[in-house]
Amino acid sequence: MKNISELTDFYYKVLYPDLQHLEQQRKELKKKITQAALGLTFVLLLIVGFLLSYNMPVEIFVFVGFGYISIGGFLYRYMTKEYTFDFKQKIIEPLIHAIDEQLSYSAQAYVPRHVFEHSDLFTSRIDRFRGNDYIQGKIDGIPIEFSDLHVEKKERTQKRQEYWHTIFKGLFIASEFNKKFHGKTVVLPDRAQNTFGDIFGHWLQSNNLHRDALVKMDSPEFEKEFVVYSTDQIEARYILSHSLMQRILNFKHKSKHPLYVSFIANRIYLAIYYDKDLFEPSVFRSLLEYKIAMEYIQTLHLAVGIIEELKLNKKLWSKQ
Amino acid sequence: MSTPLVIFIIIVLLLILMYNSLISKKNQVENIFGSVDAMLKKRYDLIPNLVASVNKYMEHEKSLLQEVTQLRTQANKPNISEHETIALDAKMSSALGSIMIAVENYPELKANENIMHLQATLNEIEEQISAARRAYNQAVTEYNNTIEMIPTNFMANAMKYTRKEVFEIPQTQRENVNVKELLNA
Repeated sequence: MKNISELTDFYYKVLYPDLQHLEQQRKELKKKITQAALGLTFVLLLIVGFLLSYNMPVEIFVFVGFGYISIGGFLYRYMTKEYTFDFKQKIIEPLIHAIDEQLSYSAQAYVPRHVFEHSDLFTSRIDRFRGNDYIQGKIDGIPIEFSDLHVEKKERTQKRQEYWHTIFKGLFIASEFNKKFHGKTVVLPDRAQNTFGDIFGHWLQSNNLHRDALVKMDSPEFEKEFVVYSTDQIEARYILSHSLMQRILNFKHKSKHPLYVSFIANRIYLAIYYDKDLFEPSVFRSLLEYKIAMEYIQTLHLAVGIIEELKLNKKLWSKQ
Repeated sequence: MSTPLVIFIIIVLLLILMYNSLISKKNQVENIFGSVDAMLKKRYDLIPNLVASVNKYMEHEKSLLQEVTQLRTQANKPNISEHETIALDAKMSSALGSIMIAVENYPELKANENIMHLQATLNEIEEQISAARRAYNQAVTEYNNTIEMIPTNFMANAMKYTRKEVFEIPQTQRENVNVKELLNA
């Protein structure tokens, strides 16, 4: 697997002609979007002025506001569609193949819902399941699949207004684990202990009805960041050896985002909560900017790198 | 309801909670100890095979092999205490470790398929034992905390609960080095 600096070289050298072409496209698009936004806002102001002079009720203004936002969103998506398509085909796909030729990429597909549900990382009811940028293949003989996901459920406010609540938004990775086990072990970010302190937080965690028994790990550093639930106290420690706990901590620090990990039926699932759509082309900032380029490269490298990072390719004897 | 009655009910409830928490902590320790014991037995069962396979070659390590056999006989005695089990495990781990390192001096042994398989099995069991030890230590720590902390310590005293011992986790295991890697280094 290529490292980050090799990928950066690839981005700026091999992809440069395409990047320049896309940059041209982006500038024109930015101009068009700004014009459209100005036009739409002008229409909005006209309508508001008109409504004001007729003393319309407040509900109408809310309605107009919603219309403005949804038309704006629709226009934005429509206008950036071609640019997004080109970007994914010309930049993201070659980048993935540069990391490893074995990997396949599909811009439209995503990790199937049953895989997400099987991971048991999020126990809420799911009402809407979307995603894109599906990458799949084998690294060092270990199967891996990951994609962007956006999982939501429908909620109601006290005034009975419906809205969409995000359960998970970010990168979801599924792969094979290098040890055999039978139970279920889930590692979640430790919110309760950080918010409510050790004693009360611990009490809350041990009484979580959605989860199996709380497992207290013998690594203070790991305990501070994560909370572990498992069907089997011994198996949880068989899976989470001291070295794996350290590697998960390193991975968490590298990704700089909340990390959820589960081990079920000899598989490992990782969910990294980015709270944004990944691998989307930037419209208002140049694709040639180092920071923008690094975002694509680092995220891809992080996802594909878990096999090496967590040493999933080092099989134990029993699985050889 | 009168105030004294309410206070009385609350006190009784608290006593019940304390009692139940002590019992559940004790049972958790016993339960996990059962698993540790089962895994240790699994390892002891490998010893006759191991000794038989290396006996012919290992001339200089006869005493080591005798020690391992002896430890196994001791461990197989009925009704040995938790304390003894823990002590025997520590001796056994170090003796087996020495044998595995000694195997490296015998090229015929290193290449022997039976030995390779034994090494692999032993390695896997070591990983499982290490996990079980850690689970046991955690359960014992929670148990020890409960019997020493106020207010449960009063009840623990009355129930004659005493501190339990934990397994020493050797530094090499904390780092999770497997025997094979150790030998290759």
